[in-house]
Amino acid sequence: MLLTEKEARTICEKLMSYVKADDAVVSVNSENYGHLRFAANAFTTSGARENVSVEVTVWIGNKRGAASTNEIDDESLKATVGLAEQLARVSPVDREYIPTLGWQTYKPVNGYAEATSNLSVTTRAKAINDVIAACEKAKVVGAGFHQARGLAGASATKNGNFVYEQSSLVSLSTTARTPDGTSSGYFLRNHFDVAKLDTVRVANEAIRKALEARNPRVLEPGVYPAILEPQAVADLLAFFAFSFDARSAEEGRSAFSAPGGKTKVGEKLFDERLNIYSDPWRPELPGSQSAQGGLPAQKIHLVRNGVLENLVYSRFWAKQKGKEPTPGPVNSIMESSQSPVTVEDMIKSMDRGLLLGRFWYIRGVDPRTMLQTGLTRDGIWYIEKGKIQYPLKNFRFNQSLMQLLAPGNVDMIGKPERVGSSEGQGGNAALLPALKVNEFHFSSQSEAV
Amino acid sequence: MTTSRRDFLKSAAIAAGAVSLPTLPEWISSVVAAEEAAAAAIDKNALADIALNTARKLGVAYADIRINRYRSESITTREQQVQNVSRSQNFGFGVRVLFKGTWGFASSRSVTPNAVRLITEHAVEIARANAVYQRRRVSLVPADKVVRTWKSAFEKDPFEVSIDDKIQFLMALNDAAMKTQGVSFVNSSMAFVNEQKFYASTDGSRIEQYIIRANPNFNVTAVNRANGDFQTRSALGGPQGMGYEYMEKHDWKGEAQQAGEEAVTKLKAKSVDTGKYDLVLHPSHLWLTIHESVGHPTELDRSLWWEADYAGTSFLTQDKIGKLQFASKIMNFVADRTQPAGLATVGYDDEGVPGQRWHLIKDGLFIDWQTTRDLAAMTGQKKSYGCNHSDSWGSISFPRMPNVSLQPGSNNTSLDDLLGGVEKGILIYGDGSYSIDQQRYNFQFGGQVFWEIKNGKRGEMLRDVAYQSRTTDFWNSCDGLGGQGSYELGGSFNDGKGEPGQSNAVSHGCPVARFRQVNVLNTARR
Repeated sequence: MLLTEKEARTICEKLMSYVKADDAVVSVNSENYGHLRFAANAFTTSGARENVSVEVTVWIGNKRGAASTNEIDDESLKATVGLAEQLARVSPVDREYIPTLGWQTYKPVNGYAEATSNLSVTTRAKAINDVIAACEKAKVVGAGFHQARGLAGASATKNGNFVYEQSSLVSLSTTARTPDGTSSGYFLRNHFDVAKLDTVRVANEAIRKALEARNPRVLEPGVYPAILEPQAVADLLAFFAFSFDARSAEEGRSAFSAPGGKTKVGEKLFDERLNIYSDPWRPELPGSQSAQGGLPAQKIHLVRNGVLENLVYSRFWAKQKGKEPTPGPVNSIMESSQSPVTVEDMIKSMDRGLLLGRFWYIRGVDPRTMLQTGLTRDGIWYIEKGKIQYPLKNFRFNQSLMQLLAPGNVDMIGKPERVGSSEGQGGNAALLPALKVNEFHFSSQSEAV
Repeated sequence: MTTSRRDFLKSAAIAAGAVSLPTLPEWISSVVAAEEAAAAAIDKNALADIALNTARKLGVAYADIRINRYRSESITTREQQVQNVSRSQNFGFGVRVLFKGTWGFASSRSVTPNAVRLITEHAVEIARANAVYQRRRVSLVPADKVVRTWKSAFEKDPFEVSIDDKIQFLMALNDAAMKTQGVSFVNSSMAFVNEQKFYASTDGSRIEQYIIRANPNFNVTAVNRANGDFQTRSALGGPQGMGYEYMEKHDWKGEAQQAGEEAVTKLKAKSVDTGKYDLVLHPSHLWLTIHESVGHPTELDRSLWWEADYAGTSFLTQDKIGKLQFASKIMNFVADRTQPAGLATVGYDDEGVPGQRWHLIKDGLFIDWQTTRDLAAMTGQKKSYGCNHSDSWGSISFPRMPNVSLQPGSNNTSLDDLLGGVEKGILIYGDGSYSIDQQRYNFQFGGQVFWEIKNGKRGEMLRDVAYQSRTTDFWNSCDGLGGQGSYELGGSFNDGKGEPGQSNAVSHGCPVARFRQVNVLNTARR
């Protein structure tokens, strides 16, 4: 069972009553989680977890200690506070200590659906049975993952702040493979409200891709124009909005650093139609109402019309630099300042290039340019003269994210969709568009399916 | 948990003494009181009886309960300051049932007789709901009944070492790293994990295990502010299944100083020319290539498409057993859950099967898989190799990688001997960027430090190096293995797999090794 606001407040107050330290922040979070997995057209594992976690951070004479537990009887709570205080006493002074916030006012977000948190196991079994049945009917072999989670928690500071929040998330991913193992398709969607997760669409799209990706041909690796579907954009860029750290840029060790100890704020680094921002109240992508350190979250632009507008200042770094701490990001939205273009129209406009549906095993190679390596997976198609011609075998890519979004490389931008990264298993979400780019860098072939 | 509980209380008391507080602090009393109260209130064997009897009554073919406590400690620093000191612990239980050939699992942090009964019923309810639509029934190969306790082979419990000593250690390490002019930043950390695991099953087994793991790390950065360039060098020594003695036996300070020098040198190093090179790979690098391209493809669940939706399948299939020349004939890869200091070393896995050692690749030939009891049953084997693992009481156990290591050559070949046979090549230390496809064919690896090899000798430092290859091409290109003297153990503290994602700690030992004509790219060029 998730903690109600009253229950969470009681635990926070109890924890705070044990605190003897000069300053403290305490939090309690409860979780209700369930999953069902299937593979080779049969159920594999399925389970449930209920948990509570308590975290305590204290400062004694600016010395910091932290402890956490999942036992919430009075003795355990007292012991956890005591442990944090003991760790603080034996630690050196925390040079980055900033006093915790006093009372804050939050504008609520709506990111919780009771039906998601308390999903019926029989309803879920039926829905996934339907996915498997669709795979069987199409003569493909299905594998996938359904998860639903409810979270409720609160945080309080010794200086008088208190915030309680509930959220939920449900996701379904499906991979369909032809029985001979020569073709594969994938689709993933998530939502905070189970009523808005279209499980039939997820299954049908994965099956369609698997069937359409049969008999792939070989294309030499190299630099090609490419259309990235929203899933592919999510795989590359779902976390991009969280990489705008001011401190590392000012320390000279990020892609946003400029020579001479400066940053690139104010420079047009990206295509002039691109906007990257965080908006806690976006209905289809609600973020947390609480940003770093408990600051009430606000809508913030990181990139506006292609210009790097803001870097993200932590409360400590903001004080060092005489800036305001940044109240976000708490979610990630990328959209064009012009009318969006559909993927179909992007294909029609393409003389020669590739359609990419998913990327896999993406890892940073060079932080100076945000160079990433990874592979295409589960469907890639060759386009010529405005039409999809045939599927292709997979590639490894080495692609700089800065170059990907740079002026001159972005040709068309789609309408943002709620998508989660496939390496994140749909546990995160962002609003991201399809992108048509002039250059995407493929460095070798992969025979993997 | 009997023995482990006493160890925990003892460690808490010693830790308090070690920080030399003027009086016995109240926190220790309350920690001890809370632990003692919890220990007195919880009879794991009685709870196991409730779970297993409830499950039996509901008609399951098999059930197990794991009641586990996990403790962790983490200290992170940068330059001359401590960023965080934290300890955490969590406790709970999970019940797994096999009903009509369908798995069900439920778990809770509330470890009471009533909760155990309800959660067991819920696990069966989940299995029953899914069993209605089940198309392929799961069965298990048998496992012997085991009643015993097991403790990992650490010398010094890190939870008994004072925080102050650990902080001083990291501060000295940071000082050493910053000694070289031109070093701009250093981040360092140490993390320790203690697992106290109880397992009981309808086979009659009751197993208690106490496991310690250590994960020290550091990263040095040199920044050239004039031109906006920066380079990093991370620790070569990786996590191990050891206690605090690992901090004392490895020369961390010496390595940190060397890392500082190398980070600064890297700023001025020659950018590599793309092309084919012979590679001599140090164990601090090669462990990760083993992990990705030998460890993962030999997981039987991947070959059966059980991981098709996420981690992927495998290019290895049943028909390749005993036929595929996976690597050159001088290479032997051994799976081993008994390996000293191994992160995946256990007494028993999470379904009561003892830790074992077996060959995956023998004389270069692919001969066997990593298995669990359900996987073994599916492929007609009589026993499991004991690869079932879960990362928490709240996670369902499933197939995870054992320690997988490349055996050293039989003679005393050294790194210099291997360099001697190279005209144009690159020597690589440390793990860097890594990526491999979902069937484990095509991979790309970076590293920490790269040295040119010219006419049999180590030359100047290179930068911007990554190599790409195809798994079997790569391993078959190996023509030189170091001896036992060059053997080292690397590993991953958090290897991800499964849905929902779970973490596994796993080690990979290897000697230095030489590979011919591997494709190298320059990562600074697009």
